[in-house]
Amino acid sequence: MDERMIRFISALRAGGVRISLAESADAFLAVDMLGVQEREAFRLSLRATLVKDAASLPTFDELFPLFFDSADAQQPMFDATQEMSPEEAQMLAQMLKQFGEQLRKMLEKLLRGDQLNQQELDKLAQMTGLNRAQDMQYRDWYAQRMMRALRFKEVQEALREIMELLAKMGMSKQRLDQMQQLIQANQQALQEQVNRFAGQKIAENMSEAEPDDANIDDLMDRPFRALSDREMDVLRKEVRRLANRLRSRIALRQKRAKSGQLDAKATIRANLKHAGVPIDIKHRDHRLKPKLVVICDISTSMRYCSELMLSLVYALQDLVTKTHAFAFIDHLEFISPDFAGKEPNAAITAVLERMPPGYYSTDLGYALNQFARQYLDTVDQRTTFILVGDGRNNYNDPALDAFQQLARRSRRMIWINPEPPMLWGSGDSDMLQYAPLCNNVVMAATLGELTEAVDQLLSQP
Amino acid sequence: MSDTSNFSTPAQVKDALNSQQYIASDEIATTVFLTAQLGKPLLCEGPAGVGKTELAKSIAGATGRELIRLQCYEGLDETKALYEWEYAKQLLYTQLLRDKLQDTLAGANTLAQAADRLAQEEDVFFSMRFLLQRPLLKAILNDKPTVLLIDEIDRADAEFEAFLLEVLSDFQVTVPELGTLAAVHRPIVLLTSNNTRELSEALKRRCLYLFIGYPSVEQEMAVVHLKVPELAPKLAQQAVELVHRLRGLDLRKSPSISETLDWAKSLVALNARQLDREVLENTLSVLLKHESDLQKVKRRLDVTEKGPRLEEDDRSLRRRN
Repeated sequence: MDERMIRFISALRAGGVRISLAESADAFLAVDMLGVQEREAFRLSLRATLVKDAASLPTFDELFPLFFDSADAQQPMFDATQEMSPEEAQMLAQMLKQFGEQLRKMLEKLLRGDQLNQQELDKLAQMTGLNRAQDMQYRDWYAQRMMRALRFKEVQEALREIMELLAKMGMSKQRLDQMQQLIQANQQALQEQVNRFAGQKIAENMSEAEPDDANIDDLMDRPFRALSDREMDVLRKEVRRLANRLRSRIALRQKRAKSGQLDAKATIRANLKHAGVPIDIKHRDHRLKPKLVVICDISTSMRYCSELMLSLVYALQDLVTKTHAFAFIDHLEFISPDFAGKEPNAAITAVLERMPPGYYSTDLGYALNQFARQYLDTVDQRTTFILVGDGRNNYNDPALDAFQQLARRSRRMIWINPEPPMLWGSGDSDMLQYAPLCNNVVMAATLGELTEAVDQLLSQP
Repeated sequence: MSDTSNFSTPAQVKDALNSQQYIASDEIATTVFLTAQLGKPLLCEGPAGVGKTELAKSIAGATGRELIRLQCYEGLDETKALYEWEYAKQLLYTQLLRDKLQDTLAGANTLAQAADRLAQEEDVFFSMRFLLQRPLLKAILNDKPTVLLIDEIDRADAEFEAFLLEVLSDFQVTVPELGTLAAVHRPIVLLTSNNTRELSEALKRRCLYLFIGYPSVEQEMAVVHLKVPELAPKLAQQAVELVHRLRGLDLRKSPSISETLDWAKSLVALNARQLDREVLENTLSVLLKHESDLQKVKRRLDVTEKGPRLEEDDRSLRRRN
């Protein structure tokens, strides 16, 4: 059992659930306490100790039955030929002869209610490439492939033929219906078996997988354009980690800042040892509460990196309570509500789905004007204004007036651009016009640069 | 039931919580049982108003322990959460005891001798007498076992979270003037979070985790029946079903159990016989706290003899989870 639990834990880890050594130790303690006899209590003790995040609960719920459900939970299969008279059985045998070897085997299985044996399953796994699969997402897809490898469509076709023939040869309708039902149930059970097997196999592969350690340093310096989906995944995780690091850093900084105001309480307390003579003056800590307005370009020209940029925006919003996040293509949308209470991936997908890219529809100028009209109240002297975009305005009016107004009102205006400076001003880029109005213009084409940029932003409040 | 060590099975926890008018699912009962047995803090997450705070109160009631509550907010720090020297009282005492002090020092010949004598009395001023105990220290020093509720931890700053780690891992606190104070009894600790921000991994690692979601219709019926027994069962059924459908809508704030209960109470107060349009229009504001939500639901609401129903479009069909 212990071994099974360890494998389960490593499968969970492969599924993206963070589990530390201390937590797995807790899980063993909890299981010692409640035992393994009662499945529900066992499940709950694992769940309470291993999963610390509502977003990871579905992963747990998916993997748990694959590891700890015994095979008896399998749907029962029925022998549809059991009640046949000898003549009928002979008829059936006759009919089956016309099909090829493989097809006949399958038909017999369905009629008799036999499960696939381990050997057959292993063969299927080999044929469909299941042995290398490590992502639960593709479970259904592999199950389908396996069914196809079993030539399930043809089998169904053949079954229909057989039923028709049997009807013609004078089997009663009632008997036929009954058989049909049994076969239906058998089919489902078989499908279920294949599906379970696929899940188990993938889970097993996951638990055997080496811990994911794609070379982060290398990826950090790779331009966003040159990233594969898989690398993107790794980077997304990295962004989350960075966000956590930034969070503790920002907390420190906020504490260090002093306002110069006298803290009477602290002063009296500190000077008790001097009999109340204020020798040691204490000042009040000034909690800097920065405000952020982030506008993110998610138009076609930025699409390749908008996901990462949005995850950055998400992280910032998580970090700084007073953050207003916007995204625009041809017009501005307030996206902070989309982020609230969702886990990052879901939130970002929601935003990207809500605002599908168009062709040549980017209009930064319009978006800026719209911002100045509707949301100007979010900008004051405490606000740091961050614009994430390439400044490619599709030859529309850049609305420099509105931009200047925003820059003047805000504490700082920062532009994060994924394009290298030599491309600024080329084609439809208005970057050179915007640049002088900003306090900082940062080029961030890799995650490394992006992190550094954000770190710098937060370090100079 | 005087102490948690009496809990020997999760079923017992469930019964004890039920006796406190808290209907616990198996999941809640098992997790609470493990919390008590393993002596680890329990982190409770879930939407607002599903009874996370109530759970702590019920555990306190069921175990006969005192409940000590620490409400978190932005800017909460050690002096508010742990302890503070009562400086005003110290000053006052110094003033009042001046004569006595002079007596003490009177016989001293040298300055050094006077200082020594004073040093002997130093403990008077840095004793428990002048230590203002805040919730965390109270829970640690209490001579009876307690339940410590740290409410809405997600509202506190990250640095407070880090500070909390230290307290939660060994249940001891170092006060520089007094030395280390260790817990007499290990309290049962409950942390609640509405997930407005992600908590640090380190904190999560030290806690057991319980996610309390919205209850099923049957569970919620049972809660309504328990807390508002005056409401007719048929009406309660209709009301709970409507609430469940409301939760399926894309609302800014979905109604929680506490709001269902408020609603049930107002239905009783209004002496409502059935959920007709008039009653609904008058009482919906108890359930929905945003004007836009209210308008949205009113537009969709369709009252028939069978009771209220909502016109559902594709968006509203999107279920949670």
